[in-house]
Amino acid sequence: MGFFILYQLIIFAVKYNRINIIGLGNVLYGDEGFGVAALNSMQESATFPDSVHFIDGGTQGIYLLDYIESCDAVIVFDALIPLDYDRQVYVYRNEELPAFIHRKMSSHQMGFSEMLGIAKLHGKMPKEIVLIGVPPKDLELNIGLSPEISLLLPLAVEEGTAIVNRWLQEGVEIHD
Amino acid sequence: MAKKIVVDPIPRIEGHLRIEAKLNDGNVIEDAYSSGTMWRGIEVILKGRDPRDAWAFAERICGVCTTVHALASVRCVEDALGIEVPANARIIRNLMNATQVTQDHLVHFYHLHALDWVDVVSALKADPKQASVIAQSISSWPKSSVGYFKDLQQRLVGFVESGQLGIFSNGYWGHAAYKLPPEVNLIAVAHYLEALDFQKEIVKIHTIFGGKNPHPNYLVGGMACAIDPNKDTAINIERLSMIKKIIDDTNTFIDQVYIPDLLAIAGYYKGWLYGGGLGNYLSYGDFPETNLADFKTLLWPRGAILNKDLTTVIDVDPRDASQVTEEVSHSWYTYSKGDAKGLHPWQGETTPKYTGPKPPFQHLDTDKKYSWLKTPRWKNHPMEVGPLARVLIAYAKGDPMIKDTVGLVLSKLEVGPEALFSTLGRTAARGIECKQTAGFMRHYYDQLVANIKTGDYRTFNSDRWDPSTWPAECKGFGYTEAPRGSLGHWIHIKDQKIQEYQIVVPSTWNASPRDANGNSGAYEAALKGTPMINPEQPLEILRTVHSFDPCLACASHLFDMNGNEITSVKIV
Repeated sequence: MGFFILYQLIIFAVKYNRINIIGLGNVLYGDEGFGVAALNSMQESATFPDSVHFIDGGTQGIYLLDYIESCDAVIVFDALIPLDYDRQVYVYRNEELPAFIHRKMSSHQMGFSEMLGIAKLHGKMPKEIVLIGVPPKDLELNIGLSPEISLLLPLAVEEGTAIVNRWLQEGVEIHD
Repeated sequence: MAKKIVVDPIPRIEGHLRIEAKLNDGNVIEDAYSSGTMWRGIEVILKGRDPRDAWAFAERICGVCTTVHALASVRCVEDALGIEVPANARIIRNLMNATQVTQDHLVHFYHLHALDWVDVVSALKADPKQASVIAQSISSWPKSSVGYFKDLQQRLVGFVESGQLGIFSNGYWGHAAYKLPPEVNLIAVAHYLEALDFQKEIVKIHTIFGGKNPHPNYLVGGMACAIDPNKDTAINIERLSMIKKIIDDTNTFIDQVYIPDLLAIAGYYKGWLYGGGLGNYLSYGDFPETNLADFKTLLWPRGAILNKDLTTVIDVDPRDASQVTEEVSHSWYTYSKGDAKGLHPWQGETTPKYTGPKPPFQHLDTDKKYSWLKTPRWKNHPMEVGPLARVLIAYAKGDPMIKDTVGLVLSKLEVGPEALFSTLGRTAARGIECKQTAGFMRHYYDQLVANIKTGDYRTFNSDRWDPSTWPAECKGFGYTEAPRGSLGHWIHIKDQKIQEYQIVVPSTWNASPRDANGNSGAYEAALKGTPMINPEQPLEILRTVHSFDPCLACASHLFDMNGNEITSVKIV
């Protein structure tokens, strides 16, 4: 049994050695802080192994590059503007994703999509990138999400948790 | 025909910046107006909160400089409550601050500013052999072989052809204002990418001391990290040696990459000495060697220079109600005792009142109120803050390290000190300062190790943590010199809650609108007199605005005098 667990851990390390969960947004501007709120909620509710890391990215741009390049799979929570308002929670994967992240975050103006471009240029893109977000309702100066967005928060966290669990499982299953 | 250029907002976090400039017939900027077009109301959010929590909110107002606001905030509350932090906390804060400035300057030079001087597309035409010869002649940095540059050039060609690389998509490639030979462009692009990779390492110091990064933990009364050389969970020998390695690597990168690049690039632009502007410089000072209140021990000296007069550094007291003031004669606020009367931040008021045009609009009415930024003044003078101000003040005060480095830079470029009063001077000052703060990182590391060796592990002073020990009412001032310049937080605590909180950020000094006397702010003054080669590609404006490292991003539109837009350009 002990041997079996060890075996699983080794295989796991091969597939997704490190998973990063990043929350983006400014908590001072209502729903703009959705990503950070989702991150905090997931951190409180989910139990993951030490290979899963939670990062409150705030509005940092270029400074988050390391958190993209240093992991094998990443989930980004953020407020976003979808093409069609046909869902409550939006989930985009890998190549679908840069088009939806327009955030110009810092004076250094390195947006998240530019950062993905750089990770690509460096040859350090994670195997999996997933963006989970909702369109904001209220971006006025105040702390806390609007009632509508608060209702969507658990759904977004549930999506994220399910994806991470799948990744964790996959790491084992693939070699079964 | 005279023309008008408008520099307009883009991002949504730090607030927006818009600059309107009038061009004369010879395409020289005759006048410029700087406007913050988004209200930031952190003062309102902090009212009524626990002062011990203020730093955690304050650090969210800027997308880049989270730690500087946290630092100014805890210093401000400690000042109000009379808390002295333990030596370890002071040293760790200094080390984190030096780390922040060093990383920020490095990133600014390569990733925000370099492409105002470096033509990426020209680099595709470079001869890698020649690039290698030049690189090896200016530095001993090992990544300089022919093969290295050849490989990079090929990767670049692939990237430019695929149209994928957003970071290089905004340039005015081929603009006549670019002066570097293709080989120097190629070297600079190589270092752009190397710096991007390297900067990630520097802030790991914040993670070690602050528990996490971004948004490391600060604490009123000290720092939240434990020190114990023999404990796994504390700042121990292993973590200290990690820090030592990062500091050594940082110094190497700055000495062998940043400074040689800066000198090589500046050498081609020393004929372009526009953008000097106000000639008034202010610094609160920073890096206390003892108690923060004893500003005589600050490694970055406090002071002010007026009218480019380097023979006199005037004393500054940000607590003095007649020195640092903010008025709102051209800002969308109203003051209870008249908008033109400057108020010290302890008497500060934040009552927004928008009277500008309804967006979208073409022009602001710059004769009236035209900005969400208030108008800070020092003894009624508009002031420039930031690296150039700090370097000039240290230079005028005879700081040996700054005197030597400035002297070296000037002699290498074969220019006199007057060349410092320019956009290029501002950019050079940032490099000089980065070298200095990388040295500070070493200095504070050594201090920390020496202090720990004495057996002092204390990082937190809990004497005044409990609000029942506080006076019923008190006021405090906290300051730091952020990468972009002087940052001040002023607090008024009453009945254990924040009664008033006022923040004057560096970009408010630099991007301020006119005051009641009609005096321009620093950006406004710096843009005046700049000739534009091609107003449809305002590269010269980008250079000067970027040289201040604004914490507001902007875009530019070009207008003729009739208000017709010629072109629209993002300044990112």
